[in-house]
Parts: sequence; C-alpha cells; structure tokens
Amino acid sequence: MHVRASTSPIFDELRAIQRTHGYLPEPELRLLADRVNLPLHRLQSVASFYPHFFLKPPARAEVRVCGDMACHRHGGNALREHLAARFQGQDVNVQHVSCLGRCDVAPALAVNDHIFERVTANDAVSLVDAALAGASREQLAARRVPPARSPIQCDPYAPDARYGVLRSYVQSKDWVGLIAALKASGLRGLGGAGFPTGMKWELVRNQPGPDKFIVCNADESEPGTIKDRHILTNAPHLVVEGMILGGLVAGARRGIVYIRHEYPDQEHIVQEEIDRCYHEGILGSRVMGSDLAFDLEIFVSPGLYICGEESALLEAMEGKRAEPRNKPPFPGQQGLWQKPTVINNVETFFFVPVILARGLEWLKGVGRGGSAGVKFVGVSGDVQSPGVFEVPMGTPYRELIEQLAGGVAAGRTFKAFAPSGPAGGYLPASMADVPLDWNAMTQAGATVGSGAIVVCDDRACMLDMALNSVRFFRNESCGKCVPCRVGSHKLTDMLAEWTRGRQAAADIALYDDLSHAMRQTSICGLGQVVPVPIASVLKHFRDEVDAHARGVCPAGVCRVSA
Amino acid sequence: MSGSIALTIDGREISVPRGTTIFDAARMHGIPIPTLCHQQHQTPVGVCRVCVVDVGARVYAAACIRECEPGMKVKTDTPPVIQARNTLVELLMADHPSPCARQQQSGDCELESLAKSAGIAEPRYARRLSPRGRDDSSLSIAVDHEACILCDRCIRGCDEVKKNDVIGRTGRGYTAGVGFDLNVPMGSSTCVSCGECMVSCPTGALTNKRIVGTELGDGDPPEPEWILQLPVFKGVSGTFLELNKGALVKRHFAPGDVICREGEFGSTAYYILEGSVEVFIATPIGHVKQEDAQAGWFSRIRSRLADRQEHTRDEEAARRWIPIDASTDLPYDKPVAELGAGELFGEMTCMSFHPRSATVRAKTPVVVLEMLRNVLDVMQKNKTFRAELDRKYRQRALETHLRSVPVFASMPADFVAYLRDRVELIRYSPGEAIVRQGDPADAFYLVRLGFVKVTERRPGGDIVLTYLGRGSYFGEMGLLGGGLRTATCTALDHVDVVRIAGEDFNLMLSRFPAIRASLEEVARERSEMNRQRVRATEQVPIGEFLTQGLMEAQSLLLLDLEKCTRCDQCVRACADAHDGVTRLVREGLRFDKYLVATSCRQCRDPLCMVGCPVGAIRRRNSLEIIIEDWCIGCGLCTRNCPYGNLNLHPFDVEVPDPAKPSRMIATTRKKATGCDLCMEHAEPSCVYACPHDAAHRVEPLTFFGTMLAAKDQGRTGNTAATSK
Repeated sequence: MHVRASTSPIFDELRAIQRTHGYLPEPELRLLADRVNLPLHRLQSVASFYPHFFLKPPARAEVRVCGDMACHRHGGNALREHLAARFQGQDVNVQHVSCLGRCDVAPALAVNDHIFERVTANDAVSLVDAALAGASREQLAARRVPPARSPIQCDPYAPDARYGVLRSYVQSKDWVGLIAALKASGLRGLGGAGFPTGMKWELVRNQPGPDKFIVCNADESEPGTIKDRHILTNAPHLVVEGMILGGLVAGARRGIVYIRHEYPDQEHIVQEEIDRCYHEGILGSRVMGSDLAFDLEIFVSPGLYICGEESALLEAMEGKRAEPRNKPPFPGQQGLWQKPTVINNVETFFFVPVILARGLEWLKGVGRGGSAGVKFVGVSGDVQSPGVFEVPMGTPYRELIEQLAGGVAAGRTFKAFAPSGPAGGYLPASMADVPLDWNAMTQAGATVGSGAIVVCDDRACMLDMALNSVRFFRNESCGKCVPCRVGSHKLTDMLAEWTRGRQAAADIALYDDLSHAMRQTSICGLGQVVPVPIASVLKHFRDEVDAHARGVCPAGVCRVSA
Repeated sequence: MSGSIALTIDGREISVPRGTTIFDAARMHGIPIPTLCHQQHQTPVGVCRVCVVDVGARVYAAACIRECEPGMKVKTDTPPVIQARNTLVELLMADHPSPCARQQQSGDCELESLAKSAGIAEPRYARRLSPRGRDDSSLSIAVDHEACILCDRCIRGCDEVKKNDVIGRTGRGYTAGVGFDLNVPMGSSTCVSCGECMVSCPTGALTNKRIVGTELGDGDPPEPEWILQLPVFKGVSGTFLELNKGALVKRHFAPGDVICREGEFGSTAYYILEGSVEVFIATPIGHVKQEDAQAGWFSRIRSRLADRQEHTRDEEAARRWIPIDASTDLPYDKPVAELGAGELFGEMTCMSFHPRSATVRAKTPVVVLEMLRNVLDVMQKNKTFRAELDRKYRQRALETHLRSVPVFASMPADFVAYLRDRVELIRYSPGEAIVRQGDPADAFYLVRLGFVKVTERRPGGDIVLTYLGRGSYFGEMGLLGGGLRTATCTALDHVDVVRIAGEDFNLMLSRFPAIRASLEEVARERSEMNRQRVRATEQVPIGEFLTQGLMEAQSLLLLDLEKCTRCDQCVRACADAHDGVTRLVREGLRFDKYLVATSCRQCRDPLCMVGCPVGAIRRRNSLEIIIEDWCIGCGLCTRNCPYGNLNLHPFDVEVPDPAKPSRMIATTRKKATGCDLCMEHAEPSCVYACPHDAAHRVEPLTFFGTMLAAKDQGRTGNTAATSK
C-alpha cells in the first residue's frame, strides 16, 4: 500500500483525535501542535473552519438537515424545524446543513454523520431516537441505503478490457497528439467554468520543473449537483484513467482525488479501483510496465462548498483554511505546494478516455441539433423521477425535465428551473426549450454550468427560492474577503426582509450597489455569484417580488406581514 | 525575466520593474489607491478589496497583490470602481462600533477616515445583530472584536513580522474573527505582548491599554531605542513602548538606600539592571503570646512577642523558609537574601496590588527599572526573559521552594536535581481554572506566586474549600486517591505554579515513604475538613442563617440578649487579656434571641487569607486562624475580613535602624491579631468574665441545629394543616 505523501496530514490527525474523544479537546490539540510542530493558531484556524470538527463535546444525536434547493422543495426546512421542536430539551442538536449531495433523493439529513435519504418526519424521529438510545456507528450505517449502480452508456470498454486508451498512449507516448485530440474535441471543464481541457493540460506540460500534480475535483457540493457522484459510483475506472493520462501528459507523477466528505461510498469505490490499479501495475512506479510512474491517492475533504473552488481546494490539501487564493497565479502555474497543478472535474477526466477511445466522429454524431457530445445532468426538485441522466448535448431542457425526469406532479404546472444550481439563477418554464448547449445557454443569458437542474412547480415562491439560494452562498462564504463575507450576509438579511413584505423604497438601488461590488471585487466565484439568484428572479419574476412589497406572496409561501 | 514593464494607469504611461504590484506602481507615480488590509512591510493578502482597480478583465483586481503586466490599462478612479470601493467601506461601517477605541484615542481609525472621505455618514445596510465580544484579559492590549475588519494585519504582524505565531483567523464566514492560540483570551495565550498586532491594527480592534493617570513621574524615563537594546525587551514594538512612556523608569540607588518597604502598598515591580540588593524582613519574627502577669489587678494577662525558640507552635517547628514576593524565599532564622542583576521583585504588588512583602535595600550602587503592570506584562511575556527567569528559578529557588513545604523538607538533593528540569513552570490569569473537579488527576502543583481558590461543586452551587498562597500545594488528593480531581482550583489573581507531572510525583512517593505518609496524612485531614464543610452546608439550608453569613462560621460568640444586661464586662475582659486592645465588639447581627458579637468566626471562606504577601495567615487544623511569626503588619488581612474581626496590635520593639543597620532603634511594629479563643486558658476571657452567663462560645450548627430543625418541622406541620 502506498502512503499519502502529497497532502497535509493535519486533517487525518484531527480526525483521529475526534474518533477517540468525540471532539477535539484542547489538551489534545496542544499535544498535536507540539507533535506536528505547528503553532496553536494554525490548528484552531482549521478546526474552527471546517464543519466536521467539534471543538466541544457533541450532542448524543447531532442532526444535520439539508434545506437547500431540492431539499427545500421537499420540505427539508420544515423537517428541521419539526425535529428541533420535537427533541427540544434532549441531548439532540438539530442544525441546518448545506447540500449533502442527495438532491435526487430529497430530503436528506445526517445523524451523527451518517446520511439518510428521502427521509420522512417519522423516519427522522426514529433515527434520532436510535441515536439517543446509543446506536453504534455500525448500527446507524446499517440503516443507510447503499448507492444504486447503473451502467454508463458511453463507457467504451467491456469490463475486461479497460484502460485501453492508456495502454496505447503508454506505448506510443504521443502526448502532443493527445493534447491535439483533446483540443480538437472541444472538451472543456465540466465543473461549471468551461475552460478548454487540452489547453489546460498543455499549459501545465509546458511549465518547467519535475514536481507537478494532477487533482480530480470530486467535491461537487453545489445544490442540485449530483452528476459526479453518479460517475464515481458507476465508472471510477474512466476517472482514474483520465487522471493517469492527465498526469502523463502534464509530467506529473502524483494525482489526488479530492472527494467530498459526504461521499463515503464513492470514496470506497474509488479506493477499490485505485487498489486494483496498483495491483495490476496500472498505477505505481512502472505504469503498465513502462518507465513511466504515476501514483494516485484520495484526499477526503474536511467539508464545505468552498473547497470546490480550485484554489481553496489546494489550500485544504495543504492543511489550511479553504480560502481561495488571489489569482493570478493560476493553479496551472502555482498550484499544490506552489507547483504546477492540473485541476479538473470528475466528469472532465471521465470524458478524456471516452473521447479518445470513441473518436471525434462519435462525439459529433452523438450530439443533437449541431451540439457535440454527451453530458451528465442531475434533475431534481419538483419532478416525479429525479435522477442523473446521461444525455446528448443539444437536448432541450424541457425534454430533460418533462420526459426524462417525469415532469412536475399531476395537477401542478412547471413554473421555473435553475439550469445550474444556485449559481446559474432561475429561468422561467417558458425558456425551457433552450437546448443543453454552451453557446445557446450563453445567448439565453444563462449557463450549462455543472448541469444541476432544479425544477420548481407553481407552489414555489421565486423570491423565497432566491433567498434560499443566496442564503446557501452566505452559509458557505469562507469569510476571507469583505464583499462576500459581509455582503452575502447583508444581502441575505435584505431578502429575508423582502419575503416578510418589508422592502424599502431604496432597497433596489442598495441591492444594485451591493451586487456590483460583490460581482466585481470578490476574490473568487462564490462571492461573485452571490447576487445571481436574486438578479435572475428580479429579471424574470419581478411581479412576484413586487407583490411581496404589497404584502402578498402569490405562492402563499412567505409569511408576509402586510 | 528582468527589465521593466510598460503600462498605463489612469491614462498615464509608466514603466516599472517587473514584479511590481499595481499598488506600488501607482504609489511610485503619485497615484493614491486607498487600502485597509495592505501595509508596505507585510506580504499582501488582498482581503479587504478596497484597493480594487479596473484592469479591463471580467472582474476588478486588488492592486495590492496584482502584479503589473505589459500593456495593462489600469483605471483606479472610474465611477464604478469608486462606487464598488465605497460599498465595501459602507459594508464594514455597518458593523463598526463608530467611533471605535482607536478613533476615540487618537482619531486615526483608518476605516472611519475612509468612510469620512467617501462621505458615508450613516451606513444603509442593516447592522450586525450578533455580538462579537471584547477581550480585556491582556494587561497591555485591549481587544475589541466588534471593531475587527479581518484585514489580517495583526496576523501578519504577529506571525510574519515578529514570528511569534500567536494570532490566526478562527471560525468561518460572517462569524470569522481573529483568535489567539486555540482561541483563548489574549491574556491567557502565548502572546508575548510585543505590541506588533496593536500597532498593525487599522481600527480600534487592538489598542494600547494605557494605565491612566499612573505615570511614574520622577525617575528617568528611558527612550524606546534604549529599552529595545535590553535583551528582556527584545522583539517589542518601539511604537508600543513609545505609547507606554512613563510606565517604565530607570532609577539609581546608593548603597544603603531603601528601594521599597515591607507592608507598603504599591503598584510597581523592579528589575535589577546593575548591582545587588538585600531583601529582608525588618519586622521582628515572633507571634503574640499571652502570659499571666503576676502583678496588677487589671492586667490578668499580657501579650508579648515570642519567637519559636521560646514558644514553639507545633506546626511551625519544621518551617524553614518564609515566602516573599521575589524569586527566592527567606530563611526563617535569618530572613535576608540577596538579589542581583537580571532579577525581578515586586511582581505580586505590581500585578495584584498586594502589599510589599519585604524591605529591599541597595547593597552596592544599584540601577533598577521600575515599571507598571502593563510594562511588567510585556517583560514577563518576553521569551528571553521568561526563559532566563525560569532557568534561575530552577537553579536556585525550586529547591528552597520545595523545602519550604514542610512535607518535602527532607527530600534528598539528588531528587530535587532530578525534578529541576522536569517540572513545568506555568502561569495562569485571574479566573483561569488550573484543575477541574472530575478531570483525571495528572499532576501535582506548588503555588509559586499568587492565590488559588479551591472550590467543590455541590448541588446548589460551589463552595470554597480554601485559598492557597505561595508555599502551598494542591493536586495530591486526586493523585493519591481515585485518580480524579476532587475539587476545582482556580487562579484568584496572577498565579504562577510549579507543575510536577503525575509520574514524577508517583516516583517520589515510591522512593520516599515518609513523604508519602505525610502527604497521605495531609490529604486525609483536608478531605475530613472538606467533608465537614460540605456536610454543614447540606444540613442547614435555612435562608436567614445563610444570609447572615453565620453559615460561614465555625465558631461564634453569642450573647443571649434575654440574659445580657449590656454591662460590657466581656469587652473589658477581652481588652484586659490582650494588652488593652479588645478583639471583641459587642455589636453585630441578631439571630433569634442571640446577638452574634463581632469576633472572629473562623469562617469557612477565610477571605482574610487572600493576599497576605508573606503567607503568614493561615488556619490550624482546628480551624483556628493563626498568624505566623513573620507577619509584617501590613494590615491587609484586617481590611479583608468582612466582619472587622482582625486588628493590628502595636508592639514597641527594637530593630536595626534601616539607615544604619549596625544601630538599634526603638520603634512600633504591628502584628495582626484576631480572636484566639484565649487558647492559653480553659475558657475565653469574655465568657469567663460574663457575670450573667449570657456569653457563649458555640459551634453554630450544633447549637442552632435543634432550633432550626424544630422550626422547620413547625413549618411543615403548618403546611400540612392548611392543606387539609
């Protein structure tokens, strides 16, 4: 077995203390500081930053209920309030938690760090009771539903013939050709930003020096985003192959899969695949018997949406607070430990061997309406069959929502959809005929983003949904820079007032000022997109916002005081 | 890579060396860009975003951290840029306690200045609702988290400039703040009080705590540059010293000059730069002893001072050292010590305003630094000084300190040598818990400086078991017993302790059975005493009894008002028994038909013991308060006693003339005295003297017990009757 060498051991140390004591007692932290030769404030800075560490003894039942977008649509926030009231005065701590990545099986909650799906109020009470009665980790874990596996349509391999692309490139060593093929395919970053992959790999390849890294960002944490979970569950071999190819192209000898804390099943699946690759000589000092070396390890995120921001993710791997870096320099120039680093999303790595195995012709042929390629999208919220779908690019959103995901419930009407979680804003149902295509979406003033489609039917109040999304960003702000730390808070407060019917005459102007400052001056994408949800609602659902100011919530969701 | 870069800033074509930031380029060309988080001598972090400029990209760039690029077109003052910048200032101002401490002190809060120049009078955003708190724990720096804008300047000042590595960010998002070590109060952190954070802070979040109105007027206030040359002030910020000018003076003394006198109150400590001093107790060592006087009617008994050569009280027989407020103890039989350059005295007086414990006289020409507590705090936290002080303590004082505890008096030298480098010297701030009841016992503690309050958690609240001062120890009960702490020990003021790890303590016990036996005996006595006290509180939950403080008493002088004729014979008898100074006043609280006369109650929470600079007041195992021979007559205990039951008793004595030690002079010295229950006699004089059998010396619980129980029952009976 290989040892972790590329990332900071600090979180493993903290987790070990927490496993023993249930939390991080001060004397243990002092001993740890001595042992790892770090100042005390360094330990405090991370232990207080990440939500999975307890600085005080936890309650017997630590309950975390998701209330973001899809879970909000499925009553997550009401469930949280119910549980808090139900267990008041008992050794139970019920709190909101940001998206657990179970949007297709909402609402989700975690009891003592075990995540449960499609939880009813009765389920939840019984789980908390079990925890209160002293259920062990194993007993709680046994009540979880294991992830369902389903085949990936575009997987080019038969189960016994995997890693064929890697095998041929290890023989030919035609790395320049590989980059050219990627460029020709038009593959771009599928985490949401859409940077051309071939260019990124070439950039790192051209950086001097022997120490480089390949990082797979498997930290999808944005509400609605569940596609990477699906890919990791069903095709870990393609992700691993993509990473090895990336490493060999860029000249990196080490790769790290940065996986979110809430995906223990996927961590296990990927680890199995990595172990298999080491066993079969696909990973290690002689990749497939060649003179090429590549090592791969998993880094489990200590938590938080901000860790998905690529430079924050690097900071986390270095054992620090996941605070985004000022850019430039970009990770391709100075990434992990200041070394050139390729960071790509799970889906991006996945598509590298798929495209190289199936070829450009397949890519072009598989798309619809002039778009090329396949895309994984998650559809959640008010639909009857939520899930992750592998669809041709160019498929209209309406088809994804109304056919694949079963549309809204009978008797309801399709009102709005968020094409890319909270960061993409909300579009009215009337715009659902736009195809799933980067250019088409840009023209429509939106983005394909991470393919996290969240649907709202006519029971949704769009101002309430905007508040829900802005609040998510507020909760996940790392606090590094002023516009995001203070701005997201003030904006959330302002929108909360609006939902109560208290919208001052000058508020829109104030919102415009705040929005401008946040978009323009925030260090990272999180701060820059905080105003997007409310901006989209003001653009497409202005009447609904204005009605609140008159004391009416048309959907009857908000507690408006006239 | 070298060479220069051409770009335009606000339309001006300029050329700068490669690697120059936009902020620096603009500054070099006279274009000011405002900022809050950036300082020239610190690594830029770009967190306040106030310095943003338009570089023609999708979003603005922070000028402080963004490097110039060839052909870059930078705009620093377009209306949208200024508007974004002003919004940031307005957001910060919405949460700012305006005017903050810095604005009030010196009018230079950088945030408030920016807001003023941007014309932001009243921020339009909702104010912060959740308080972020203040931290008043440091003696030299005031922390107001409310005013913190998280610019990270203090963090870089502490960790990067001074490399002290104490400050970091804690928490996340809107609730993030700066924290010291593991987010403990600054005063209990490893902060060395160098002041760098405070001079780095742009707002009132970290400000200088000046000791108002107590400048040391006379003497020679040295310049910061001179102070900074001293190794003990290494690493301190010059600006910080400048701000505290007057809190530190240099003084010269000729041989024979008295630097400070025992019993005096003060607020300064002294650090010897050159020369040596003598530390001694000028008050005669002895305790008040009553003797039957053969002659005269009135003076049946007279008091005089007796030392242990002529009148030994058993507990004192083994006593060899007197604890004082310096890094040394004084030998009992010849209470004089010498201190030299690099040593400090008067810490307790300075930190906790205790009276001076000894007289200090220059032996050679002496130069000292006299300082107030904010400067002492800075010095004490200095790593160099601390290390030196600890080294000296281990080398010289640890042994006498250990031996000053009778139980350890016999410890062989080789074991003291073994402990020398193994003990830990730890400092606690007022209110900090040293050990907590119920926690595993892992160490034994000797009190080096200050007072420790020992409390036990009981249903209905904590009760004070005792106060421990210098020369006392604690922690043995947990180690000898079940391995759990039986009580909570809290620092009452600034406390220094010597911590002996559990394994070393156990090694000591196994090697020296005699020590083990004595410790077990002490532990047994302590636990019996504690048990009695706890039982007392449990037995009598009667409000009135409690509110009068009678509960606290072990022993009361009661006057039965139905019998008392107010003839005052008791008072006279007491005065007669104590050289004309009565220790009894026939006034006091009433309980039932009894007057509780003002005389020592042998309290359960003996406040009189707190603060004695030489640790001379303590209680015997019989709970009687006893004043040790080396009482210096400062009078602190007489002021501390809430019931006015301790007095200063003057004695005419001959002492060496402080001005000319070879000559003896007659003077009056005082010793504290309290009711001693006339222990020399069969019965207290007051009780003996009462012609009406109205005076009784009683143990309150036993005496009132039956009465209270009867009352209680009566009440229960009534309730039962009404409910029928």
